[in-house]
Amino acid sequence: MRATRTIGLALLLVAVAVSGTALAQQGPQFSLGGTTYTKWLWGNARDQGALYGFKDAPGEGYGDNGQGTEIELLIKAKPSKYVEVQARLHSRFYQNFWTNFGGFGSPSEDCIPNGCGEFDPRSNQYVKLRGVTVTLTPGYSWLDSATIGSSDWGMFDPYVVGRIRYIDRDNGQGLLFQGSALDKTLTWDAARISLPRLWAGPSYNTGTYHAADGAYVFQTAFKPSSAFDVTGLFQWINDIEVDTLDNNWDNGKNTRMRFRNTVVGAKAGIHPSATFDAKAAFYYSTYESANDLAPTGWGLNGYSPVPAGKHDDWSGKLNLDFADIAGSGFGINVEAFHIGAEYASMMAARRESDVLLTEGHDGTWALPGPNNATYGVFGGNPTIIGYGGWQGNAQQVATVNVDNQFTDFNEPMAETAIGWEGLTITPTFQKGALDLAAEYSYITYDTNWQAWGDDSRSITNSLYPAMDTLTGMGSYRAAYAPFQDKTTHIGLIKGKYVVEAGKGIDLFGKLKFIEETDKRLNDARYLPYKANDCATSGTLGCANVKNFYSGTNSTADYFNNPGVITGANGQQGYQWKPFSSISDDDRDLSYVMMQIGAGYQWTRDLYGSLEYNYYNADLQDGNTAFQAYNLMEMASGKHQKNQLIAKFRYSLGGLSECGLIYEYNFGTFEPDFGPGFVATKADQGTSNNVHVPVGSLGFANRYGGWNSLEKREFDQQRLKAYMKILF
Amino acid sequence: MKNCFRTSVLFLAIALVASTALAQEVSFKDPSGDDKGPGTYVYPTDKVYTAGSFDLTEFKMKVSGDKADFSVSVGTKLEDPWGMGGGFATQMVFIFIDTDNKEGSGFTKALPGLNVEFAAADAWDKCVILSPQPQNRVASEAETKAGWAKGAVVVPVRTKGMGRTISGSVALKDLGAGDPAKWGYQVVMQSNEGFPDKADLLTRKVNEFEGQHRFGGGNDGDCDPHAIDVLAGKGTGDKSEIEDQKKMLAYECEADGASKKMATLSMVRK
Repeated sequence: MRATRTIGLALLLVAVAVSGTALAQQGPQFSLGGTTYTKWLWGNARDQGALYGFKDAPGEGYGDNGQGTEIELLIKAKPSKYVEVQARLHSRFYQNFWTNFGGFGSPSEDCIPNGCGEFDPRSNQYVKLRGVTVTLTPGYSWLDSATIGSSDWGMFDPYVVGRIRYIDRDNGQGLLFQGSALDKTLTWDAARISLPRLWAGPSYNTGTYHAADGAYVFQTAFKPSSAFDVTGLFQWINDIEVDTLDNNWDNGKNTRMRFRNTVVGAKAGIHPSATFDAKAAFYYSTYESANDLAPTGWGLNGYSPVPAGKHDDWSGKLNLDFADIAGSGFGINVEAFHIGAEYASMMAARRESDVLLTEGHDGTWALPGPNNATYGVFGGNPTIIGYGGWQGNAQQVATVNVDNQFTDFNEPMAETAIGWEGLTITPTFQKGALDLAAEYSYITYDTNWQAWGDDSRSITNSLYPAMDTLTGMGSYRAAYAPFQDKTTHIGLIKGKYVVEAGKGIDLFGKLKFIEETDKRLNDARYLPYKANDCATSGTLGCANVKNFYSGTNSTADYFNNPGVITGANGQQGYQWKPFSSISDDDRDLSYVMMQIGAGYQWTRDLYGSLEYNYYNADLQDGNTAFQAYNLMEMASGKHQKNQLIAKFRYSLGGLSECGLIYEYNFGTFEPDFGPGFVATKADQGTSNNVHVPVGSLGFANRYGGWNSLEKREFDQQRLKAYMKILF
Repeated sequence: MKNCFRTSVLFLAIALVASTALAQEVSFKDPSGDDKGPGTYVYPTDKVYTAGSFDLTEFKMKVSGDKADFSVSVGTKLEDPWGMGGGFATQMVFIFIDTDNKEGSGFTKALPGLNVEFAAADAWDKCVILSPQPQNRVASEAETKAGWAKGAVVVPVRTKGMGRTISGSVALKDLGAGDPAKWGYQVVMQSNEGFPDKADLLTRKVNEFEGQHRFGGGNDGDCDPHAIDVLAGKGTGDKSEIEDQKKMLAYECEADGASKKMATLSMVRK
């Protein structure tokens, strides 16, 4: 009897086992994987608002110190051959420091002004749902796949719908349909992307009613062979609001447009041989916003991913590439480009693409102040990314909606190329262990205009978001200024050479020049006051007779005259120079960057490099009449910056990424704000406010901000160690 | 008579030098437009995978002193959209070499992630990997995932791309003894995947349906060759080699995705 039971149980177990095996073979497939990423930040700025080096949105934190770990679980299932499901459960670094002791940070202790602590999700190790995607592949002749959910939209174009990153690369969600014909030589992609309400509209929002806002995109490409391709693109963005004038709700509620954006584009490429390649692209955009639902202007320095009002413009580029000409190792790439001042595609790539051939500016000069601060003339605005900025050169994006948020110093910086037009030529040479490349770029600007290109408006009532203003050493997201007459020349040569010693020593170096001039206000009719309004000798003082460039519009409303004060040495003079000459706001930058470095594979697992970068900038960025639009620290003078960077990369089976970067920045800024004013001394209040020594020389600007006249010496160290594991 | 003798000596010397030079360079061509694996594969849909990116067109191996210089050309201009730093990003090339031409000597199993095997007569002894990933990353991945091939996988310290050509050099001694002109070669075009499947050696998957970052036209299991283009026939670039490639990469799968008949590669020889 017992034997019968045992045999029966055994048979049952076998049956279950066999059944299970069958299910495993024929039924749904499910897999679980993951990644973990650990980061260790250290820096002498001693900020601890987040485990990211840069985040400047109001109420958010940033930091250069702390340790943290995030994890994501990658879930993938295939219920049938036609259906695939993917999702991620992802914790975020943000303020999840190891010092939180597993989520038990102090509930009441703030680490940024708006608070974090244990009860703030940004610091209690919360996990977010990310990247949920269902992909259907029904096998229809007219449809290859339908994707419902998350994507980074990388199948489109960075001028139209770019790869979108905001912490993660697949936060954008929508519907994507893809199909093909003619043996896949003709493909099409159609998508409806839900418009991100966090940033995808005028003033970085999509209004009150967001749930029905969307971007509609269509792209079709014909690639009969690898020698020729042509692509057409269309995008339509519709940001709507509920019509508050519709009082009859029995038939539903009416809606009306808040913002619309249409972009059409065409691209073609011919690739006839291994040595020649030609590509052309053209894009045209229109957009408008409702005057009563979106801002109608941005003051002098508003923040928005798109200008106010109704505009249209075009962008385009032509690339000719010649590679390894006659087997010589010599190649040359030429790019002609134009990105219109009013070109806008709300969903264009914000960071993840580099749309131009030029190196552009360097990431170490990212924002207007000498130490990369914005609004540094006023208290409470310290630098965020720090004196060192970001490493390397910038990558250009075709939008002012640039996103460098949630990045660290070792990542590339994106800069806007809105308004850029010109030519880039990059010769290259490769032979054996030697790689050489050079660049010459001539850039002028479609944003070169006077009084925002519209005399009928006040300069403080602009349609164009000037962001951090085009002042100082750099301004990665600023494309617009009230007055601009700017040209840029970029020249560089860089090289790599492998010395045959041991495992080979990598030598690399670069020499880069930028000559940039901007006459800004270049017509005397825009000067704030009539000629000789302020006395320059005898009894000082100004008559304050305004100069009107149209109607009641005068730049005197912004660049008003100074008072007469007693300076630090007891002499009488103007608090700042009266704005009396069109040269008072001239910008003239002579910039040299030199790099030398070496790298070596020390052991099988460890690669290390050491580089030294030297930057010398002789900058005239207006005088005390201009005051960097009264808002930013003046940066006129001599800048010298030194960077020592050590990088280590460690590889071990199972480690996806592991390394350490140490950076030491030191340098000086010697201000030269020109004549025509008397300096005063900083009092205790100023010292407390903007962190200058009591008694140091400077001047208070029109808005009460303080510009120091003392030589500044900078010293910044920072380190980032990281480890990423895929499991 | 003296002149004739001198001419003969000169001729012989030139011939000797020429033959030596010839012996130190091996090159094969591959037809364009055959970057479809066994004939059905399609590229991922993301725009970084430009048409022709994985279309192998030419392979060269040249001995320079104690170095072996490898170069592989593809059907379109190389680009570096992921900022890998070496002039290319999406490609990954496996160059399998049969250095001893002995049946049964070497490996018939290919490196993980390729889902191919080699005929016994063409078992490989060395594999040179041209990847945009840092050398130590590729080497450590190979050690972890293909420890059985320790010493047989060779990764150039630096691999770079220019125009349409990916190149890298390795020490000749790392490839073993013998005349490179008499070795057998096979080149497998794959795609660089920084976050590969657990067992795959930095390779990108081929599934039944293409996705944003995976090839389509294959099978969701691992029974299909994850090889987008290979050398075939005599390596002359003749259009007939497209059919040779299809035959070589032909495969059969079980219903559950297991392999029934694995694609079997052969070497190409001068």
